[in-house]
Amino acid sequence: MLEKLKRKVEGAEVYEIRSRETPVRFRAGELESAKSVERAGRALRIIKNGRLGYSTTTDLEDPQSLIENALASAEFGDPAPFRFATKAKPPEVRCFDPAVERLELERMIRMGEEVVDKIRAYNPELHIEVGLSRAVEELSLVTTEGQELRERGTFFALSVEAQRTEEGDILIVYDEAASRSLKEVDHDQVADSLITTLRWCERLARPPTKEMPVLFTPRGAIVLLLPLMVGLSGKSVFLGTSPLKGKLGERAFARDFTLVDDGTVPFAPRSSRFDDEGVPTSKRALIDRGEVRQFLYDLKTAGVAKAESTGNGFKSGLLSGRDFKNPPGIVPTTWTVSPGGESFEQLLSGLKEGLIVDQVLGLGQGNITSGEFSNNVAVGFYVRDGEIFGRVKNTMIAGNSYELLRERLIGLGSEVKWAYGFFRAPPILIDGVGVVSR
Amino acid sequence: MKELQSAIRAALASSRADYTEIRLEREWRTQVFFQRENLENIESSTEVGGIIRALVDGGWGIVVFNSLDELEKKIEEAYRTAKAVSAKVGEKSVLAPTEPVEDEVRVQLKKDFRQVSLAKKKELIERYNRLMLSVPKVVATATRYTDSFKEWLFANSEGTFIFEERPDITLFLMATAREDGNIQQAFESFGEAQGFELVEGLEQKAEETAKRAVALLSAKPVKGGQYTVILDQELAGVFIHEAFGHLCEADFTYKNERMRELLQPGREFGVKELNVIEDGYLPGRRGNYRYDDEGVPRRRIYLIKSGVLQGLMHSRETAAKLGALPTGNARAISYRFEPIVRMRNTYIDKGSHTFAEMIRGIDHGIYAKSAFGGQTELEQFTFSAAYAYEIEHGEVGEMLRDVVLTGNVFATLKNIDMIGDDLKINGSSGGCGKGGQAPLGVTDGAPHVRIQNVIIGGRA
Repeated sequence: MLEKLKRKVEGAEVYEIRSRETPVRFRAGELESAKSVERAGRALRIIKNGRLGYSTTTDLEDPQSLIENALASAEFGDPAPFRFATKAKPPEVRCFDPAVERLELERMIRMGEEVVDKIRAYNPELHIEVGLSRAVEELSLVTTEGQELRERGTFFALSVEAQRTEEGDILIVYDEAASRSLKEVDHDQVADSLITTLRWCERLARPPTKEMPVLFTPRGAIVLLLPLMVGLSGKSVFLGTSPLKGKLGERAFARDFTLVDDGTVPFAPRSSRFDDEGVPTSKRALIDRGEVRQFLYDLKTAGVAKAESTGNGFKSGLLSGRDFKNPPGIVPTTWTVSPGGESFEQLLSGLKEGLIVDQVLGLGQGNITSGEFSNNVAVGFYVRDGEIFGRVKNTMIAGNSYELLRERLIGLGSEVKWAYGFFRAPPILIDGVGVVSR
Repeated sequence: MKELQSAIRAALASSRADYTEIRLEREWRTQVFFQRENLENIESSTEVGGIIRALVDGGWGIVVFNSLDELEKKIEEAYRTAKAVSAKVGEKSVLAPTEPVEDEVRVQLKKDFRQVSLAKKKELIERYNRLMLSVPKVVATATRYTDSFKEWLFANSEGTFIFEERPDITLFLMATAREDGNIQQAFESFGEAQGFELVEGLEQKAEETAKRAVALLSAKPVKGGQYTVILDQELAGVFIHEAFGHLCEADFTYKNERMRELLQPGREFGVKELNVIEDGYLPGRRGNYRYDDEGVPRRRIYLIKSGVLQGLMHSRETAAKLGALPTGNARAISYRFEPIVRMRNTYIDKGSHTFAEMIRGIDHGIYAKSAFGGQTELEQFTFSAAYAYEIEHGEVGEMLRDVVLTGNVFATLKNIDMIGDDLKINGSSGGCGKGGQAPLGVTDGAPHVRIQNVIIGGRA
C-alpha cells in the first residue's frame, strides 16, 4: 500500500490495529454475559502538495477506497507543518504479558465470583456489578520516512460497583484496577479496598457550608489533575488557552509539587514503546518542585509550535481508550505526582475540620481550561478532630486547581497509589476549598 | 447490505441457541474540524461491522466483528459462549414477546449531506470559525462539523428483519475568550437526523457565541449556596434527562428490589402540573429512528403524569422481568455494543406559567441557561449551566459564571413549583453516556422551569 502511495504523495503513514477483547459482566452479583470482540481497523494519513489528508476504514481488503478518501480530504487539508516519524531506537517497555493472553474465560468468571462473595460476606444486601475484560492487540505502523514497527500488547481490567439502596439514600461505591499484566491486578485487594470505603460510609454526616481543607485520596486527585491535563498540553499552550502559557521555567505551583509524564512505566495501561505516530515514548518531569518544565506534544503541534514531539500523540481521549478512528492528538501517558512525607493517617489526624474526597460527579463539566472545578461529592467524608465523622451527601466542592496547587497545598501523603489506570498519586491535602452542603 | 439477506436468514436458521439476533451496520461519515485558524481534521471514512447475540438457557453470548463473512461460524461462537455462561448463570435472562416485524425504512433528506462536497463543507465551517475569531478578545475556537449515514440491519430468529437508514448531522461552535489569567468559553451545539440544511445560515449564532465568551470575562463567579433557580428550556431538558430520565431506565431496577420499591408506579414525584414524556419517534430529530436495536418499534409513554410515576423505559429483557411491555428503548451506540436501556427524547411537557409569572416574587435567585454537561448517579445529580444571570427583586440582573447545580432528584422534583408554557425540544452535537457507550444521540426538552432550594457549588 505504501509503495502504491509513494508515487502519488510526499509522505504517508499507515496505522493498523487488530484486537481481540473478552469482556465478562456480572449484574446483581450474578454472571450475565460474556462477549468476544474482534476488531480490525486501518487509518491513513498522507501529505500531498504539502497538505494533510486523513481517512479510516474497517475494511482491510479494500485499500483503494481508503487511499481515495485520504487523497480527497488532502485537497482541502491544511498545510502539514511536520513530517511523519522516521526510524528511531525505541525504549524497552514491557507491554505484553502471556498470562493475559492465556487467561481463560472460566478463570475470569471465577475471579468475578470471588469478588462478589467477598463483598457479600461484608454485606449481603448490596447490589453488586462486576466487569472483567482481557484484550490482546496487535498494532503496526509504517511511514514513508522509514519508520516501521509492530507491537503486541495485552490488557486486563477489573471494575466493581456496589450499591446500597435505602429510602432517601442511594450509595454507589466504585473501585477498579487495570494493567497490561495479570499479576498487577489483584482482585482480592480491589474487593478489600471497596469494603474499606463502604465501612467509612456507614454513618452520615453533614458538613457546614464554608471554606475548609480537603484531603483528596489518590483517586480523588483526578479533580485537581484533570485541568492540568488540558493546561500542560502543548496544543492549549499554542492556542493560548492554557493558563500556563509563557510560564515555562517559572514556578507556577507549590514547591512540593512534582509531576512526571512517563510512557515507559512497565505494564501500565498507557505504556508503549511508541506513540500512535511512531515516535518513541519518554519519561519527563512536567512540573519539577513547582516549576513548569515541559509541555506535551504530538508531531503536528510540535511542528506549528516549533517544539519537539514528546511521544504523546495518541488515538485516545484524555479519559477514554484508544480508537483507531481518531486522528492522533496530545494525550498524557502515565502521570505520577511525587509523594510527601506523611502517611494518610498522619494527614488525617492533623485535620481539625475538613473533607476527604474520593469520588465525584460531574468531572470536567465546568470551565476546566481555566482550572475551575465544581463537583458533587459522590463518595466523601466529613472529618472533625482528626477522625472520620461520616459520609457526606448533597455536597459540592469548588475551587481553581491552578490557584489551589500553587497557594494552598499543605500536605502530600507518603504512599502513591494507582487510580483509573492512568495516574499515580499520593493523598493530597489542600486548604481553602469551597464546600457547600445542605 | 440488503444483499446479505439470504446469508443472514440462513445463518439464523442454523443457530442452536434459544434466541439469536444479528445487527449489521455500514457507515459513511465525514468530519471538518477547525481549531483557531487551523484545520485540525478533514476526513471522510467508512466503517462496517456487526454484532450477534445468542441466548442459551438464560445466559448471553455476544460476538462482535468487522468482517461480515462466515456469519454461521460467528453464530456458533456466540452459541458456545452463551452455553458456557449458562452453566454459571444465576437468574436466567428472558425476553418479553414482541410481534415479528419486516420493514424497510428509507429517509428523504431535504439536502442530502452525502451529495455535498467536502470543499463546500469546509468552506461553510471555515466561515463560522472566522466569524468567531474576528471578535476581539477571542483567542481560540473549536468548530466541528460531523455527518454520518448508517445503513442499519437487524434480524432475529423470531422472524424480524428490518433495514433502516439512519442519518445524523452535528455542528459544534465554541469560542474561548481571554484576558490575562481569565479564560472563558461559550458554545452552541446542533444535532439532528436531518440534511445539510441544518448547519446552514448560522452566522448569527456563531457571532453570538463569540460575544458570549467575551461577556463571560466580566461575569461574576457565582457564590455557592441555596437558591431559587429558573432553568431555561435547554438546561431544564438536560435536568430531566440526567436527574430523572436515567432513574427510569429499567435496567437499573429490574434486578434490584430496593430500587424497585423506590420506583413503584403510583408514587408521587412532583406537583400536579408535572408531566414527563418519553416520546416514541419524532422523525428528523437526533437519535430518533423508528426501531430500537432489538427491532422493537418505539412507543410514546408517560414517565410522570400529573406528578405521579407511570412506568419505566424497557428493553425486552427488563420488560419480561417486570411484567411490562417493551417500550422500544433498547439502544446501542454502534455494532460494537449490545443494546441497553436508553432514552431518545425525554421532555417535561408544557405547563401554564409565563416567564414573567415565574420571576415575579424571586427576591434573590439565579436564572441558569444552556447546559455545559451533566452527570447522574441515580438519586444524586449534577449539571452545569453554560452561563447564568442573577435574579434580584423579580428582575434579571448581572451575568454569572461557573454555575453548577446539584441535588437529590426525589427532593428536587418536589421542589419544582412552576412550569412554563414555552416547551422547546433540543438536539445537540453531544450525546448521552452510559455503561461505556457514548455518545448516543438523544433529544431532550422542557419549558422554563422554576425550582426552589437548589444547591449551587462555588466559593462559600
